[in-house]
Amino acid sequence: MAYSEKVLDHYNNPRNVGAFDKTDPNVGTGMVGAPECGDVMKLQVKVNPISGIIEDAKFKTFGCGSAIASSSLATEMLKGKTVDEALQIKNTELVNELALPPVKIHCSVLAEDAIKAAITDYKKKAVSAGVAQAV
Amino acid sequence: MDYFEVFGLPRSLSLDGASLQKRFYELSRRYHPDGFARASALERQKAEEASAELNDAYRTLRDPVGRTEYLLKLNGFEIGEQRGSDVPPELLEEAFELNMALEELREGGPGAEAAIEEARVKFTAMLDAIDKELDALAAVYDAASAREGLQQVRGLLNRRRYIGNLVSQTAKPAVA
Repeated sequence: MAYSEKVLDHYNNPRNVGAFDKTDPNVGTGMVGAPECGDVMKLQVKVNPISGIIEDAKFKTFGCGSAIASSSLATEMLKGKTVDEALQIKNTELVNELALPPVKIHCSVLAEDAIKAAITDYKKKAVSAGVAQAV
Repeated sequence: MDYFEVFGLPRSLSLDGASLQKRFYELSRRYHPDGFARASALERQKAEEASAELNDAYRTLRDPVGRTEYLLKLNGFEIGEQRGSDVPPELLEEAFELNMALEELREGGPGAEAAIEEARVKFTAMLDAIDKELDALAAVYDAASAREGLQQVRGLLNRRRYIGNLVSQTAKPAVA
């Protein structure tokens, strides 16, 4: 199956590959997977604790081109959003932007799950650290 | 009719491959087009359909992993229906770390080949161990048909996918 131009672009030049220190209180980490395809996706956000804005995002995905492109695009979309705005990101936005075919929609769902997992992790940390504004 | 019924077998995870094959040949003969040369168009069509179903059933049931996935599906434990949150974090962590380590090996330049071969041997051994564990779980499930047993089987099949992926990745020659 042929990948769209945009998938190929993100696959060949993935944005924001890497990792933050997951013990950093301002970092939220989401690790999700789709065992059916053997995919595993780690997505992290670095949040400004005062403004609640996501200042940076990183990912590392082992999986097919669509999974890599979905998570790469997700990190791009996350930057500059507040954590609550980030929770509003829907997989359909990734599907449309990347022109994913129906059989690859689950890759975008995985990326949405990863965003939610990362934000949830950040919020949990913020609550236990008593950072009320960012929650 | 489910694939087990096609063969007149109970729904079980363990199956004797030799008797399955024997039964497959018997049933194949029954639906063979030669036997329907003078039959009506409708009967011929029915035999063709039965034959196609038999082939699908045999292909699915003769493969232990395919059979296990099929039985899971019949019981509402479809592999593809899981969300990321259904997969235990330890497994994701393990899969991530193993993939990461393999990627580092690949970028290792000279000497990488030997290390990748070493990894392949390790992953293959892990896969064998998983298959043994699956056999053991299958025996337990077949004895009692407890649904929790299927959940365990699915969990292990998930891990099998990840490890199997690593095996096939290391089987390929390393590309820079």
